[in-house]
Amino acid sequence: MIPARLCRFPAPLPYGEAVDLQKELVQLRIADRIPDTFLLLQHPPVITLGRRGRREHLLVSESRLREAGIDLHHSARGGDVTYHAPGQWVLYPILKLSTAEMGTHGYLHALESVAINTAKAAGVDAFRREGMAGAWCGQGKFAAVGFAFTRWVSWHGLSINVNLELSGFDLIVGCGLVNQPVTSLEKALPSGNTLDLDAVGDEITRQIESVFQRSLHPVSSGNAKEFRCQL
Amino acid sequence: MNLPQDLKYTETHEWVRVEDNLLRVGITDFAQSQLADLTFVDLPEVGSDVESGDEVAVVESVKAASDIYAPVSGSVVEVNEALLSAPEAINNDPFGEGWLFILKPSDMASVASLMEPAAYQELIPAE
Repeated sequence: MIPARLCRFPAPLPYGEAVDLQKELVQLRIADRIPDTFLLLQHPPVITLGRRGRREHLLVSESRLREAGIDLHHSARGGDVTYHAPGQWVLYPILKLSTAEMGTHGYLHALESVAINTAKAAGVDAFRREGMAGAWCGQGKFAAVGFAFTRWVSWHGLSINVNLELSGFDLIVGCGLVNQPVTSLEKALPSGNTLDLDAVGDEITRQIESVFQRSLHPVSSGNAKEFRCQL
Repeated sequence: MNLPQDLKYTETHEWVRVEDNLLRVGITDFAQSQLADLTFVDLPEVGSDVESGDEVAVVESVKAASDIYAPVSGSVVEVNEALLSAPEAINNDPFGEGWLFILKPSDMASVASLMEPAAYQELIPAE
């Protein structure tokens, strides 16, 4: 297994800070100054539009978003519009892609596998849907993907809805898919069941190791600044 | 994975075909397969001067975005405008109809710095 680093942030990291951190890591990874690195974190409430994200998929005005305490960001990732908030794990793998373990299904498939296997471990029957990237269960879509490659180093990535308040998704046409319900793993369980966010985070970590065939060296940091000091 | 033996390659997964004193450039079969179904292409301007390694184009699929780099320094003499309305040609025929742009290199000798097929083969996953 290839050694890699995992940094899991205990507190939500603002979107802009996470983007700045990723840009820095991508440059370091391109230069082989750091190993493959996974960031596992949550964001404070934020709506992000991908490179081709269409404004009409945002269903409310920016001023209404501000009133609701939700940030809006344009992002360099692929994909359309999505919503992040605490209760959702976001995985940003900073990986050099062109190594033998990627196989033919590629990176998108690997990200989806992390989401699907994590859901299954939580007791949710999860699957892919033809022509619709992300991960789904009977109740709807619970994981979204959107990523970018810079010199074939990956950034941005995957979000998995664990137990977040889903009302934020009412403000957007998620991923530009009309009439496709969004759900969370907790919602997909029989009512009354709850999920422990940290336990799901542990499962994601195990799935990263198995899907990406990386042995993870955890780095603990309270925030982006502390993490930078350990680079 | 298709890997024509008469082309040169870059570490960033572009291919280069020498056509007299010009270079036709595209992305490899491996690159297109990693990006999946492409939906958008941003091409360089004809007449623009580029340095080796410059970001000159962007290709995007439903879920991914990737920069494309100039394999050598030179000027862009032609771009594949057909891709603007039909980017899927890159997926269907990456080494043919899916070409991206044609460069006039500032120094033809710079082509020697590109990778041979065997060296590029080493970079990509074995099937």
